[in-house]
Amino acid sequence: MFSIILTWIIVAWGAVSCIYMLRCAWSRFPKRDVEVDDVIPFLYPVDISLAESLLDPATEFECRWKLGPQFRETQRKRMRLFLELTRRMAHNSKVLVKYAASEQNRHDPRRAALASALQEKAIEVRLYSLVTGIKLRFWLLLRADILNAAPVLAHLRTAGEIDGLQTYSALKVAAAAAFVQLPPDELDSLTRNL
Amino acid sequence: MILLLRYIPLLLLALLLWTLVRKRSYTEAPCFFAYTIFAVAAGLARFVVHDHRQTYRLIYWITDAGYVLLGMLVMYEVLRTVLGNLTRAWWGRLIFPIILVTGISMSIGRASVVPSPLSGLEHYMLTGEIAVRVMQVLVFAGLVTLVPLLGLRWRQYSFGVATGFGIYATIMLLTTTKFSDFGTRFKLLWGWTSIVAYSLAVLIWIWFFSVPQTAETPSPDLSASTPGDLKQYKDALRRMR
Repeated sequence: MFSIILTWIIVAWGAVSCIYMLRCAWSRFPKRDVEVDDVIPFLYPVDISLAESLLDPATEFECRWKLGPQFRETQRKRMRLFLELTRRMAHNSKVLVKYAASEQNRHDPRRAALASALQEKAIEVRLYSLVTGIKLRFWLLLRADILNAAPVLAHLRTAGEIDGLQTYSALKVAAAAAFVQLPPDELDSLTRNL
Repeated sequence: MILLLRYIPLLLLALLLWTLVRKRSYTEAPCFFAYTIFAVAAGLARFVVHDHRQTYRLIYWITDAGYVLLGMLVMYEVLRTVLGNLTRAWWGRLIFPIILVTGISMSIGRASVVPSPLSGLEHYMLTGEIAVRVMQVLVFAGLVTLVPLLGLRWRQYSFGVATGFGIYATIMLLTTTKFSDFGTRFKLLWGWTSIVAYSLAVLIWIWFFSVPQTAETPSPDLSASTPGDLKQYKDALRRMR
C-alpha cells in the first residue's frame, strides 16, 4: 500500500513537472533579453563584513560567554539577520544568472565565456543560500535554541561543501569581469549594490 | 497503415541518430548515443520478426532488457553531468544510488501488491522496467525543481535527455497505475499511449540536440582583455575590497 501511495506521489510530481515544462515552453518564447539596465537597480547590497562577523566563531563564543542566558534571544536575532543576508545573496545571484543566460545567447564568445563563469558562481551562491536558508528557517521554526544549546551560526560558513562568503566574493569578481565594459560610474554602482 | 504507425518511433529514432552523428553529440552524451543506436537496432529487429510470434516475443523481451539497462546508464550520465558541475559534496555521489534503490524497492513493492499477468523472467523484466520509469520520473522532476531554485539553464543536452525520458516515463507510469483496471481494453490503450508518448520523447530529443548548447566553459582561444579593460577591472576590484 505504501509503495502504491509513493508511486502516485512520484507520478503526480512528474505530471506537475510536465505541466511546468509546458508553461515554460509556452511563456518564454520569444525569450526576453536581460540588459545591463535590468541588473544594477535590482541588486540588494550585501554587507560581507557583517556576514563575516556573524559567522565568526570567536565573536559567537564571546557573545555566548558575555551574555549568558540572554544569548539565546541574541542568537535568534543573529540568525534572522544572516537569513536576510542569504536572501539578498540568493536574489542577487538570481538576477545575475538571468543576465548571464541572456549574455550567453549572444554571438560574442568572449562575453559568453565571462557570462558562463558568472553564471557558474551565481549558481553556487544560490545553492549555498538555499541550503543555508533551509537550515536557518528550520532552526527558527522549531526553536532549536530551546531543544539544543543554541545552534552555532559559524557552522553555516560552508554548506554543501561551498564556502558561502568566499563564493560570494568570487561572484563579485566574476561580475566585475562580466561588466567591465560599463562606464566607471555604473561599474561603481554595481560593486556597491552587490 | 497500423504497422507503419507502430513504427513511427523507429523512424524518429533514425532521425535522432542522424542528428546525434551530425552534431557529434556522442562525445558529450556517449551513453545516450549508445541508447539511440541500440533503440534503432532493437526497433529494426522487432520490425523484421513481427510476423513470427514466438521469435518476436523472444526479441521483444531481450531488447526490453537492453532498454532497462541502458535507461539506467543514461540516467547515471545525466546526473553525473548535471551534479558534477553543481556540487563537489560527498553526498552528491549518493544521489544516483538512492534513486536506483528507491526505483527498485517501489517497483518490487508494487509488484507484491498488484497481481501481474506475466510470470517468470517476464515478470522480473516488467518489474525492472517500472523501476527504471520511476528513476526517470525522479530524475526529471528533481531537475525541473532545481531549475527555478538554482536558475539552471535548460539548454543543456542532459536536461533534454531527462525531459524526454521524464515525460515518457510519467505518461507510462500514469497509464500503468491508473488504467490497469480496464481489463482487455487496457492493452490497446497502453500500446497506443506508449507509441505517442515515446514519439513525443524522441521529438524532444531531436529538438534539444539540433539546437546548439550555449557556452559551458570559458574558451582557451579567447583573446586577452585590452589594457583599458584590465585597468577598469582592477579599479572595480579595488573598490570592492
